[in-house]
Amino acid sequence: MRRVVVIIRKEVLDSMRDRRTLLMMVAMPLLLVPGIIILMVKLQTAQMEQAESRQQRIVFVGAEVAPALYALFQEDDRVTLVPGIHRDSLAALIAAERLDGAVIVPPDFARLIAGDRQGRVEIIFKGVGSFGSVEDRMQGLITGYAAGLVAERIARLQLDPDLFDPIAVDGTDLASMQEKLASAVGGFLPYMFIIFGFMGAMYPGIDLGAGEKERGTLETLLSTPAGRFEIVLGKFIVVMAAGVATALIAMFGLYLGVRSFPEIPTEIFDVIMEMLGPKMILLILTLILPISAFFAAVILGLSFYARSFKEAQSIIAPLNIAIIVPAVIGTIPGIELNATLALVPILNVALATKDLLAGSINPFYLAEVYVSLFLLAGLSLWGCAQWFNREATLFRS
Amino acid sequence: MIQVTELTKEFKLSRRARREMGPRFKGAKTIKAVDNVSFTCVPGRIFGLIGPNGAGKTTILRMIATMLKPSSGSITVAGHDTRTEPQKVRENIGFMTGQTALYDRLTPTEMVRYMGQLHGMDEARIRQRREEIFELLGMNDFADRRIGRLSSGMKQKTSIARTIIHDSDVMVFDEPTEGLDVMTSRAIVDLIRSCRNDGKTVIFSTHRMGEVKLLCDDIAIIHDGRLFYCGSRTEFEARMTHETYEDEFIHLVGAA
Repeated sequence: MRRVVVIIRKEVLDSMRDRRTLLMMVAMPLLLVPGIIILMVKLQTAQMEQAESRQQRIVFVGAEVAPALYALFQEDDRVTLVPGIHRDSLAALIAAERLDGAVIVPPDFARLIAGDRQGRVEIIFKGVGSFGSVEDRMQGLITGYAAGLVAERIARLQLDPDLFDPIAVDGTDLASMQEKLASAVGGFLPYMFIIFGFMGAMYPGIDLGAGEKERGTLETLLSTPAGRFEIVLGKFIVVMAAGVATALIAMFGLYLGVRSFPEIPTEIFDVIMEMLGPKMILLILTLILPISAFFAAVILGLSFYARSFKEAQSIIAPLNIAIIVPAVIGTIPGIELNATLALVPILNVALATKDLLAGSINPFYLAEVYVSLFLLAGLSLWGCAQWFNREATLFRS
Repeated sequence: MIQVTELTKEFKLSRRARREMGPRFKGAKTIKAVDNVSFTCVPGRIFGLIGPNGAGKTTILRMIATMLKPSSGSITVAGHDTRTEPQKVRENIGFMTGQTALYDRLTPTEMVRYMGQLHGMDEARIRQRREEIFELLGMNDFADRRIGRLSSGMKQKTSIARTIIHDSDVMVFDEPTEGLDVMTSRAIVDLIRSCRNDGKTVIFSTHRMGEVKLLCDDIAIIHDGRLFYCGSRTEFEARMTHETYEDEFIHLVGAA
């Protein structure tokens, strides 16, 4: 065991002096995560504000038969009514984005409305863009006008308004803010620490395996009294620790990202801080540890197999996709942890973290996740050690 | 002492390797890298393992250092069998190749300390040996600079220092001067000589006949994994029918 500690100490020292490792382990998660969050929120806010304040060029056909509705469009300072466009050319102009939309009121509209019947209004738009779309704006004005008509009809005919609103629903939502937040964004956290955990382990893993071969230091190491398992264990622990550290740094990056938004309501902010409290971090750490052990064993195994640093990179980098897919599945709403999914590596971590954050984890499934993860970690370490013992792996030419 | 007895090493051939090695190996499942080789290296003498590239020299040295397992036959190093007591064997050897095999991000001090620790030396002993070696090799000026920033000569000195830090009885050199300039090669040659003078068992592989003449007391000529000659250098010289070592080597191997 003393030699394992010696190897760990040396590998930590060596890795901490490697710029690529430091970039992946510290700079990327610490800068990238808050950076992405800030950028995304700022971009989204800016888009929404821009969409909200944007002037929309709309053609209103049939103003003479719906003067009240026309007046509503006229009064809206975000709408510019464009006159003099022939109806037949509206579709082409909107498709070409020279106009934003059109409202077409048929000639019988006034007659139908006056007769307490239903009048039809056609709207034309190009349905792209989600914020403050022209469809929403036109619909909003028309719905407001319709609500006024209904109220006027009810009053004139002296009807009870409840006639048109027969059921009043009083909802009591028992989901806590924590559960709601976990359900909405809970998948993002495991997604992030899984990806960063893998990326953080990747460079040290390649350097400690294939890099050792490329430098010729592997032979030196193998000729020392350190046993093969001691060498593998020492390297494995360092690679795993790098993965865990990167995942934790990424979580800290997330914390910094959240902290940098004073706009977040205090109530939500407090819940987020509670979710990311020491107890939760410790719980998540128990999930990160075995999954990082699995990553470390796989990366090291492949790294020992590769002849050079470059070859190892080309073998290991595509695994990012294999990691991302189950992590992304875990973010899809509706996919819940169950007895079967608790056995699927990576996905089980994503789903268990989501449930942990929501505070609604099923202890049986959680136990299943732990058992399967630790079993997987143990098996992968054993496999890695066996792999390292193969002459064909170490001296592959 | 190193005792190699009827040593054979076979490697499995992959389909790709068979294809790359040409029609001679068509259908072959294995290749014999070392074929029934026996020799003895004794303390206080330098044993040269001579042969062209691909002869099987590195494979033999890797088996001596327990990196590879023999397919058959046996090796004992300092009285320990490489199969049954590999760790004991490694405790007793120093291994060096033509590559400096150093960690660029460590300093010579850290590198040497790491090797000493892996050999189970205590800190006081490591410090004492390091000071002696650094003084001897003139390494004190760059002892705490990163290896990656050192010149090739400084790196080679560091490589020597890490090889001899634990003062082993058996020294294994695998083509130690390969690719090195004259000055750096000289440092290695001096190291090999000093090991002999200290009464250590020294085995080194080379395909340079000049080095054989310069250094070796005993030699083994190996080609295609088979042993063509094993004995003292003076005996070899006495029975030479050609003028140069190179010609004699080609004659020996070519006659087979």
